[in-house]
Amino acid sequence: MNDRYILKKDHLPGLLRRLQKEYRLVAPIKNSHGDTLFQVVEAIDSARLDLDSQPQASLKPFLFPQQETLFTYAQPDATSYNFTATSSDSPTLFFGIRSCDLSAVLYMDVIFSRKGRDPYYYQKRHDAVLINLCCNAPFANCFCNATKTGPFLEYGFDLQLTDLADRYLVEIGRARGGEIINRFRHFFDLAEDKDCKAQYQAFLEARSQFKQQVHVDQAIKRLKTGPLADEIWSDLSRRCQDCGGCAYICPTCTCFTITDQQLTPTSGERLRSWDACTFGGFTRMAGGHNPVDTRRHAVKTRFLHKLLYDVNEHGRPSCVGCGRCVGICFGGVDIIRFINKACTGADRISRRKTD
Amino acid sequence: MKNIENIYLPQPARIIRVIAENSQIKTFELAFIDPDIHKTFTYNPGQFMMVSVPHCGEAPISISSTPTRPGSIQLSVRKAGLLTNAMHSLTTGAQIGLRGPYGKPFPLETLKGRDLLFIAGGIGLAPLRSVINYCLDSGDYGRITILYGSRAPSDIAFSQDIAIWQKTADTECLLTVDKAEPGWQGPVGVVTTLMPKLTPDLNRSSALICGPSLMIRFVLSELTRMGFADGDILTTLERHMKCGIGICRHCHMDKTLVCADGPVFSLAQLKTLQGTELLS
Repeated sequence: MNDRYILKKDHLPGLLRRLQKEYRLVAPIKNSHGDTLFQVVEAIDSARLDLDSQPQASLKPFLFPQQETLFTYAQPDATSYNFTATSSDSPTLFFGIRSCDLSAVLYMDVIFSRKGRDPYYYQKRHDAVLINLCCNAPFANCFCNATKTGPFLEYGFDLQLTDLADRYLVEIGRARGGEIINRFRHFFDLAEDKDCKAQYQAFLEARSQFKQQVHVDQAIKRLKTGPLADEIWSDLSRRCQDCGGCAYICPTCTCFTITDQQLTPTSGERLRSWDACTFGGFTRMAGGHNPVDTRRHAVKTRFLHKLLYDVNEHGRPSCVGCGRCVGICFGGVDIIRFINKACTGADRISRRKTD
Repeated sequence: MKNIENIYLPQPARIIRVIAENSQIKTFELAFIDPDIHKTFTYNPGQFMMVSVPHCGEAPISISSTPTRPGSIQLSVRKAGLLTNAMHSLTTGAQIGLRGPYGKPFPLETLKGRDLLFIAGGIGLAPLRSVINYCLDSGDYGRITILYGSRAPSDIAFSQDIAIWQKTADTECLLTVDKAEPGWQGPVGVVTTLMPKLTPDLNRSSALICGPSLMIRFVLSELTRMGFADGDILTTLERHMKCGIGICRHCHMDKTLVCADGPVFSLAQLKTLQGTELLS
């Protein structure tokens, strides 16, 4: 599948309009508050498609919603109790994904197939079409160059677009992407050699523009040699405000809790909701005992999971370098600060978003 | 759901008997409603089930019965939180939901022929009861020694089993309580005070322990002092769990997840972990 195509920018609205007839279309949209978020696109012509900003949240909520119903239960009388699984969702096409977020989807694929396939995740994932948009320039807090999850991808996408000013170079990653090109062939032209060269040039330029120098490999190497000084954990944990923002905004944080929501005296639903290992009550057992000293170790599991446990288990870290936690943590205990601390032991506050 | 087996969907099971072990612990004997599951369900000692009680969500409960006695499954539950309190109000005929069995069991194949020393505190006897009765039923194991600590004589759980164990050949069962009550003739003190009397043949002995984390910590160090090798000491741990299958991560313990990598761990495994509260 080495075929490369050109999609003229003028043709994009027409293509999306056609795709929208077959898929639920999700794309980065600037809302009335000026926030760019992945949203279901209702009308192409009135939606403000924003392919210039980093979406403020990842695709995670679409594949692994902040809260979802796993099943309903009923207890019609004292001696019965039954469960009915729910099912929903139409095939979704995600357009304008960034490489970090698409890499995070590949990570979630692994996590949600650990012990049998998670039916709720895979129902949404199975029918999803992923169209990636390479980043020609990194955003303020990005460091996907250091996590090897961007700014351009080599696999994982159905289609990948590279912005070449008046046109996109389109690469096919998986058969489903090829099918889209074939079905809507009239929107695409075959790419020429100069287009491919222009893409390579864009790639080289993107790689050279990272403002954050984050030594992910060095931190991993350090963590593999043995435990960090406990003061590093307690210093960072003291600044954690227990808000869970880092985990919620993180495209690869997939911890969850399961609770019952009573709807009537005899029925209810079982919900799965996002959770965060940084929360004080995350490991607390019935009766109150907590085997983890969360005051001293609030952020320890989150960072070690991403930069050590997942490296040992999957061969690569599960931080995708999107930099969102840098922008969201008001205690300044983001992953860049941790990586700097792990590498140098110094208390250097990571450079914050300046724009 | 597109032929993907739903790993979160519990199976209804009926309570067929309730045994009050003490004021805090009840043993629930259960049978699956679905006749096929009832017939084919099996498990290994040391595994646990995720239990659903209406409006209370789920909690992990270790299996206290042995697969050598098929036809039903027993879960022994101490009143600790919302779900377990609600479960205690259920009576024969009521239904709960079950998922499982989950977790790595005790390595009973490799323990064959060995003398087994069981040390338990409180509800910690529940998972070990499964192993003890399995070993007694199979007859493939050496001498069995059980040390059981309770807070007070009235807190001693599983007294029916204890009475049988105390009469069984090649089996010894010693009890102790933290605090005596009128009429108590036995020893008083924490469970480690029973350990100096033991004379295990270390070449053919393994220790299996379960109880509060503080008890586990002291028993681990006492067993090490007695000369048990780290690989011959096995413990089973209790944690907050939501999925039971290694995804939600509530039961994290350094690099491991207690639900999927445990709940049974050897001391050798525990020693590879950072910062567990079990090692002093």
